[in-house]
Amino acid sequence: MDSKDIILDVSHLNTSFMVEKKEIKIVKDVSFQVKRGTTLAIVGESGCGKSVTVHSIAKLMPKNAVVKADKIQYNAMRDGQIHAYRLENMAPYGKEMRSLRGTEIGMVFQDPMSSLNPVYKVGDQVAENLLQHFKMSKKEAQEKVLDMFRKLGIPDPEHRIHDYPFQFSGGMKQRVVIALAMICNPELIIADEPTTALDVTIQAQIMELMKDLQVNEGKSVILITHNMGLVAEQADEVCVMYMGRVVEFGSLEQIFENPSHPYTKALLRSVPVLGLADDQKLETIPGATPNPADVGEGCEFADRCSACCAECRKGRIPAYEVEPGHKVRCVKFKGCKEVD
Amino acid sequence: MLKFTLKKLLQMIPMLLLISLLVFGALQMTGVDPISYMVSPDMAASAENLEALREQMGLNDPFFVRYFRWVGEMLRGEYGYSITTGSSIKTMLAQRLPATFELALWSLLLSTVIGVAIGIVSAIRQNGIIDYIGRFLAVIGQSIPQFFFGICMVQIFAIKMGILPTGNRMSATGEFTQAQHLILPVVTTTISMCAVLMRYTRNNMLSVMNSDYVKTARSKGLPEWKVYFKHAFRNALRPVMVVLVFRLPLLISGSVVIESVFSWPGIGITITDAVVAGDYPVIMVTTVLVAAAMLIASFLVDVLTALLDPRVRLGE
Amino acid sequence: MALTDKSKATKLWKKNLRKFCNNKLAMIGFICMIIITLACILAPVLTSYDPIKPDFAAITKAPSAEHLLGTDKLGRDVFARVLYGGRVSILVGVVGALAGSLIGAVLGAIAGYFGKWIDSLLIRISEVFQTFPNMILILLMVAILGQGLNNLLIVFSLTGWMTTFRMVRNEFLVLREETYVKVCEAFGMSRPAIMFKQILPNVLSPVIVATTVNVAGFILSEAGLSFIGVGVPSSVPTWGNILNAAKSLDVLANYWWLWVVPGVVISVFVLAVNFFGDGLRDVLDPKQQ
Repeated sequence: MDSKDIILDVSHLNTSFMVEKKEIKIVKDVSFQVKRGTTLAIVGESGCGKSVTVHSIAKLMPKNAVVKADKIQYNAMRDGQIHAYRLENMAPYGKEMRSLRGTEIGMVFQDPMSSLNPVYKVGDQVAENLLQHFKMSKKEAQEKVLDMFRKLGIPDPEHRIHDYPFQFSGGMKQRVVIALAMICNPELIIADEPTTALDVTIQAQIMELMKDLQVNEGKSVILITHNMGLVAEQADEVCVMYMGRVVEFGSLEQIFENPSHPYTKALLRSVPVLGLADDQKLETIPGATPNPADVGEGCEFADRCSACCAECRKGRIPAYEVEPGHKVRCVKFKGCKEVD
Repeated sequence: MLKFTLKKLLQMIPMLLLISLLVFGALQMTGVDPISYMVSPDMAASAENLEALREQMGLNDPFFVRYFRWVGEMLRGEYGYSITTGSSIKTMLAQRLPATFELALWSLLLSTVIGVAIGIVSAIRQNGIIDYIGRFLAVIGQSIPQFFFGICMVQIFAIKMGILPTGNRMSATGEFTQAQHLILPVVTTTISMCAVLMRYTRNNMLSVMNSDYVKTARSKGLPEWKVYFKHAFRNALRPVMVVLVFRLPLLISGSVVIESVFSWPGIGITITDAVVAGDYPVIMVTTVLVAAAMLIASFLVDVLTALLDPRVRLGE
Repeated sequence: MALTDKSKATKLWKKNLRKFCNNKLAMIGFICMIIITLACILAPVLTSYDPIKPDFAAITKAPSAEHLLGTDKLGRDVFARVLYGGRVSILVGVVGALAGSLIGAVLGAIAGYFGKWIDSLLIRISEVFQTFPNMILILLMVAILGQGLNNLLIVFSLTGWMTTFRMVRNEFLVLREETYVKVCEAFGMSRPAIMFKQILPNVLSPVIVATTVNVAGFILSEAGLSFIGVGVPSSVPTWGNILNAAKSLDVLANYWWLWVVPGVVISVFVLAVNFFGDGLRDVLDPKQQ
């Protein structure tokens, strides 16, 4: 698999928080690759470290976080040539990293209510991204912003660019946020639960919009969500995380038709589906998410796993390749080739 | 914006009337004969004069008639005479108001600039030296009585070291410049006022820096200085503007005691002497004027806040 | 069911107590407060001198074995005056704060619960009071009521209720809409019962913290007022009016024990109360549970 096909290559990412001199590990040994022009969905329960993972990659973590990785490589494609950027050692707010933000990597955060600065007009905020990276007049920038607003379906854009965030509804605000992220035409879009804070009907609109962007313009998307239904509609590949570790990784078909890790299986069984038989119960995963500070060695899911055995609690569990492109971190598959 | 300004202006007027009514009514309750302060002392000398004057000035009229007449006098600037000194209240105020203004303005300016600056730096460089100094000063500033701090300063700088005057606004002998007279009172007031503002600004700045829109700004690849100056400050400073409304009354409160410590000839010392001596006309006039000043200041801050925050003026 | 609730409540209590004890500053503050207060209460035990009767034989003596903190211009023992004065200052602070909070809480409950015109009226009144700078308002009231210790207590209560009022009113406005209140109303519980037995306990924590902080504020206010000669008359010693002597530059320069001691005592006590209040806030703040 060469760099032309892979836009982002993450290898052994570890992020911890320093809380009162104690180090709490949030992201443990995470590795994955994003194929160019596809959508990778990162799924898992709240608190499993999905958000922290992408914030670590984009280097937007707060000061008390410690981010270490063997490799975070972003492959930018310009005029058919690959420019590789090693992000792991870059200064978070240095020139190089900042030049990538906006132009190559665009981010859409979860809560549109708080993502926009309340005291500036939306048009100015979107244009700011443009003007930071490209030399153009304010008028030219404004034209581009208008174009983007039209493309994203924001009605009456000529007037709306002069409005303030509080004058928009939730769904419209999120479109503005997407406009902000897309205005410089980045190749990689990281969307951190972009629709969780919105109504269900608006959710569908926004996700359709993002799918359009990906399909029509060949963008690569990392979509963070805990909604398996969304994953089924949007994703090409799926990365399942639990307690800071990647427990399973594969294509959409592989994950949905051959879920291998007990956690993945439990996740899929707990999704409400129309047409449940009368006596069929909605399954829940027993137990509760443990405190990240408490977890010791072995598999993090051991306490809640129905197939747990003594071997599961010992040492580091490696990842095994069940089928090409499908990795599982579970002792049950130790017969397969070890890949991590 | 104009509509907002007018609305706020109109809200001020009934409040002012209410306050003046309360003050007028309260002082009527004390039972002091108004004639004693409504005419100059020489005219009050003879008894028949007094009765005729009472009738003439309508002092036997019903309460509300007298109240509105008084309001009229206030508006026209006829403030009457002081019982204790016999001098015209208007002249007294003309001399003393500027003194208090000078003290208050300098203190407000310095304490705001220093307080906000330390607060912001404390937030950006958390747990740095400035942060600790700031927190230490804040705690001390809120616990040591302002006037005690003042007299300590007088003892150290004026008496022991002799480099600054012990009080008053100017030296009769020209020994110290007017600026030197200002230093100790201003420093004393500033340090107490800094305390609250430092903590408040620091907390606001911290919560703004952790907000999502700052993250968005950074995700656009903006340089850090732009993130701070353009995105963080405006939002962090906005609540500070609101706090400004509450600082002016604190300043005036403080000046009452500080002017005593430094023998500063301002409104504070005027009202103190008036209360001790039972000089009701002075008390009435100064109280109403102070209240009016506070209302105007509050109005100005409202306008300023609206200018800074579109949500306020467009009416969320 | 009742048993487990009770044991849960005691566990929470113990957890809070432990949390408070771990906060070193708060503990130091608490201990200081207690020590100073006890010393003042036990004044007759700790000193045999009369704080009020002059002794012209021993005027302005510097601190010595006989007079621990020296004597003042009328020969009165400063240590005794500070101890007896503390009684009054602390009393004024505590009573003023409690009375102010009581008035504020009751008015706030009424305004928040009944809303509409009562609320508007009470809010207007509190705004009128708050427009005045605190000192000016106090001076105005002293002018009307006259000087004296009791009058000062009344003045403090009448000028210190506004912050508690706002706090309680806002809480009530929010809590009034809670389901459990509607349930009580549906069951026909009387309105005062709902207000004071159901809703008020929820507001108690911030009110307690505010009251504690107000104690410090009132002690500082009394000190300031007595210093300028408008507070408690000098026949009754308080920390503030002992400091009144320092108005003269002569005293300031030559007799340090007359003004440094009361000033330091006030500062330490207020600092202690502030630390204690901060610790209390950390423990009682429900958002941090």
